[in-house]
Amino acid sequence: MSIDHGIDHIVEKVRAGGRVDRDEALALYRRAPTAQLGQLADAIRARKHPEPVITYIIDRNVNYTNVCVARCAFCAFYRPVGSTEGYVLGFDELYRKIDETIAVGGVQLLLQGGHNPDLPLSWYEDLFHGIKSRYPAFKLHALSPPEVIHLSRLDQLPVPKVLRRLIAAGLDSVPGGGAEILVDRVRKLLHCYGKASADEWLDVMRHAHHLGLRTTGTMMYGTVETDEERIEHLLRLRALQDETGGFTAFITWSYQPDHTELAGSEATGVDYLRTLALARIVLDNFDNLQASWVTQGGKVGQLSLAYGANDMGSVMIEENVVRAAGASYCMDEVEIVRNIEDAGFQAKRRNMHYELLGDPIFREREVPRMLELATARADGDTSVPDELRHYPARSRQGKALRVVQ
Amino acid sequence: MTATAPDPAALSASHDIITIGMHADDVRRRLHGVCTTFVRVADVDAQPGAPIHVPPSAGEVRIAGAPDSRASAVSRVAEVRAATSGRPLSGFALSDLERLSVREQVTLRSLLEELCAAGLELVAEAPFDQLEDPRRAIEEVNIAGLALARLTIHQAPAVDTVAGFQRVYALQRDVAVLRSFAPLPRRFNPAVPSTGYEDVRRLALARLVVENIPSIQVDWALYGPKLAQVALTMGADDIDGVSAEDDVAQGRRRAPLEEIQRNIRAAALEPVERNGRYELITR
Repeated sequence: MSIDHGIDHIVEKVRAGGRVDRDEALALYRRAPTAQLGQLADAIRARKHPEPVITYIIDRNVNYTNVCVARCAFCAFYRPVGSTEGYVLGFDELYRKIDETIAVGGVQLLLQGGHNPDLPLSWYEDLFHGIKSRYPAFKLHALSPPEVIHLSRLDQLPVPKVLRRLIAAGLDSVPGGGAEILVDRVRKLLHCYGKASADEWLDVMRHAHHLGLRTTGTMMYGTVETDEERIEHLLRLRALQDETGGFTAFITWSYQPDHTELAGSEATGVDYLRTLALARIVLDNFDNLQASWVTQGGKVGQLSLAYGANDMGSVMIEENVVRAAGASYCMDEVEIVRNIEDAGFQAKRRNMHYELLGDPIFREREVPRMLELATARADGDTSVPDELRHYPARSRQGKALRVVQ
Repeated sequence: MTATAPDPAALSASHDIITIGMHADDVRRRLHGVCTTFVRVADVDAQPGAPIHVPPSAGEVRIAGAPDSRASAVSRVAEVRAATSGRPLSGFALSDLERLSVREQVTLRSLLEELCAAGLELVAEAPFDQLEDPRRAIEEVNIAGLALARLTIHQAPAVDTVAGFQRVYALQRDVAVLRSFAPLPRRFNPAVPSTGYEDVRRLALARLVVENIPSIQVDWALYGPKLAQVALTMGADDIDGVSAEDDVAQGRRRAPLEEIQRNIRAAALEPVERNGRYELITR
């Protein structure tokens, strides 16, 4: 491997625990050999997590609706209002999913969905109340910043008030979805500026942190952004983390192009490992970095543990969004643990706050193997939840549906 | 960054996958620099009469599958040869031919000579762990006037990867005709697939131990672009199994040629297309 002496001083600075600036991050990303980036990231991971433990969470990734008015160019999951393929999950369907999640040791629902104009804030409040009354210990990691902004616009309430009401109803933490790249030039090109500008996304997280919620930060790269913009994204997250300390973890994944309006090609596996390693170096105030095996597959997902990741993410149980865009990898708890241990680490279950919950659940009791991720709904199920009629619809199609109901 | 005096046995027990890969990458770069070769392959079925489609971009036409009989193997080679327009024609696994020769009560050499006379140029693969006598079988290929496209591993042994690779090294020392070694198993249990660490470690150790075979190969179709690309940074220098179809249904950038070149360049390496004879192709 050839050494680029022009980056020696940056490498030494990182090794000594120093913070890289914008230009240094760019120089590393562009000029450091992949192995060198990996070693730097791995050293930081080992410094932050001296115990040879890799964590994971058993939760379920549920998308409560695919109806969305945002129309992001990179999304293959959404359906426009009135589409025959649009769905909203009923409360009972969601409770059933929680029962299934608890049965395999799950502790949390990761609940995200489209920006559906026919689901007002009261629908979410009733759902959250319903979940918490039935499953008091079960956690709700729900509604990414653009969804919160959508509710704020739909119900004409300020974001802090929306968050307070959701917290009162049972919201425990906020997932970092919808960040994409936190640069407005990119967001405009991806048609996602309207759902949340970079500042708006960060503001929701700032409010959430100030209200005592912990959140994750994410980055979807590989669309139209430049290297500089990828770094700008990381620096904006780092700055907010300096300010609030509210992020528990960072997750990055590559854009999945199949069936999307934007189309194009997916960033490569090496690019993923380099981006992950760079994130570990730049985000020196984030404790935890997740491996995105859902988009990269189990093999590169496992290799992520050598490039800065200290967490294998979620067992997921269900996934709908990246599957719609072509990625269909599945790893159940047995497989995740096998990959962690094969890489030389101990596997521990955790919660959203990264508190250790224990050893793998399948070693404590029998758990059915899961060789395929579930979907939100069975193919051909076009049922409309009965309770929807209790909530005012905003769209013409939604109003017509209420009349029929 | 320079790696020094790697001990393969110690590395095989290590979880420091990046250091293992760096040692292998040093050897790979010493042998090949940043040059990364790939071959676009048109697979055709071994069954006589089966459709034959040879895209213009194919750098190798490969007869895939085990032949039913000596006559059908010879007949199929002749059929495919007529459709290849001079492109390198490879076919069959040497272990299948070994078994066929026993079944048909002919010598392996005479079977190979018949296939050569019918137009076969290369035996597509020699699965090291499935051959009765690898050295003899490979020498027979050579004597019959054929070449061997690559040495493969059919199924990963449960233990001692390094010892297995040392036997491959010894084989090449004896036969000296092996051009390429694909150390990742061709067959695996889908319920318990190999892990990324296992694959990368195996590739890297192959590069370190089997220094006398020029190329360490990874199969693009079998192992997928992500793992195959990472493998290029950890010892592999040649990619087999790239589709010869110029499929642009998902846009030019998703076509096989564009995808392979993009992946190689994204690994900071230089793509060079070759054909089945290991001749470089300039288009």
